[in-house]
Amino acid sequence: MKTTAKDVMKTNFKTLSPDSPISEALDIFKTSTVDGKTIFGIVVTDKDGTITGMISMYDILLFLLPKHVKIWGNISDIEIEGIMDRTAGKLKNFLVGDIMTPKVISVAPDTHLMMILDIMIKKHVRRLPVVLAGKPVGMVYISDLFNHLLEKV
Amino acid sequence: MKMGKDTLTGLKVNHAMRKQVILLGPDDSIDCCIQYLIKYKVNALLIGNDGEKPLGVVSKSDIMGAWYAGLPLSTPIEMIMNSPPLFCGPDDTLDSALDTMKGNNIYRLYALEKDSNSVVGALAYPDIVGLLYHYCSQCDQGIFNKGKETPYDRVKRYKVHEIMTKQVESCQEETSLESVVEILSGSKFGAILVSDDQNFPIGVISKTDITLCYRHGQDLSVPAKSVMSTPVASCFEQDPVESAIKTMILKDLHRLFVIPGENQSVSGVLSLTDAARLRSGSCHACISSRIRVDKS
Repeated sequence: MKTTAKDVMKTNFKTLSPDSPISEALDIFKTSTVDGKTIFGIVVTDKDGTITGMISMYDILLFLLPKHVKIWGNISDIEIEGIMDRTAGKLKNFLVGDIMTPKVISVAPDTHLMMILDIMIKKHVRRLPVVLAGKPVGMVYISDLFNHLLEKV
Repeated sequence: MKMGKDTLTGLKVNHAMRKQVILLGPDDSIDCCIQYLIKYKVNALLIGNDGEKPLGVVSKSDIMGAWYAGLPLSTPIEMIMNSPPLFCGPDDTLDSALDTMKGNNIYRLYALEKDSNSVVGALAYPDIVGLLYHYCSQCDQGIFNKGKETPYDRVKRYKVHEIMTKQVESCQEETSLESVVEILSGSKFGAILVSDDQNFPIGVISKTDITLCYRHGQDLSVPAKSVMSTPVASCFEQDPVESAIKTMILKDLHRLFVIPGENQSVSGVLSLTDAARLRSGSCHACISSRIRVDKS
């Protein structure tokens, strides 16, 4: 039975630079797949290949979300297209490094699968980068963990 | 709701406060701080250690000052924070919280629960506007509640020019970013209007834009036009306050520049802070004429 991160991690993953425009992240989310799967999160690495953050669809959606959204329940005639146009204009000034999640939770290649499961459940994350000496070497996805652990059940 | 001296009477801080409070550690860098300001769309962050009473606050103005002083982005935010933060209680009245904010010339208060010493919310002017807007939108007199029986046009409404700030900070398109930072540091305004050589407004630079330039390693010597955001968001002097607020909320703007009419020059600026100072909804019906308008 496989027991650690390196046994289940996928070594094929996308990376971006913190200086990349956000449009580059959007292109990856919209068009790319890795091993046939849609990409929801991309690792951000600096020039040396050291992990500096992660950018996910969630980060981009968070950016789109207007600040005073809780007031919106009372506004019926919202034109969502206009809002998205405005956000698209705003996005041009921002870089991946501005809106990524900088404090990334990661695991080591020899982290035990149960430990990974515990982190994923407690922190509500579905993917964890596997990091060795500051550099990402793979990704563990909750679906792979699920399929692997429940294979024989 | 009980009617009082203004619409907010009887309401408490926890009715309006934002419950998401972001805390950074004193050792986190300015770079990290700017990133969180952008990510969570706030104007200031609380600094402290988990489980302890917060140590200080870092606002966009502090960040701007750090850039002007030539501090590297890796500087720990402890070096530039304002300490201690000003607190209010979640059960304090909104009126007293607004008085504290006005009296201390600050833009936000953090709600501290006395027993646990933990921060349970943040109160800034836009949150108060949000609450007031909420009342307007539910009110039969509300400008957007057309089709109701009440003849809403009979009620006297606040117009933008009545509560706007009749003064605007502005610069020329060739003005250096460094001068813009100097002007904004010494002023109560959060943004500056950029005009071309015909004095026609062509863009805006806000403190948010400046913190972003700092993070992107821009040079302070670049001209204003190279970093300004366009177009200038504006409204008319005679627009009802309610619709101006709606525009700001929908478009995620903190301010609108005010013009008397098409193609006329800017006569003032209306910010969410101005709107919060009104302490009432946007028409006289709201408070049975017992209004109090705070002048800044």
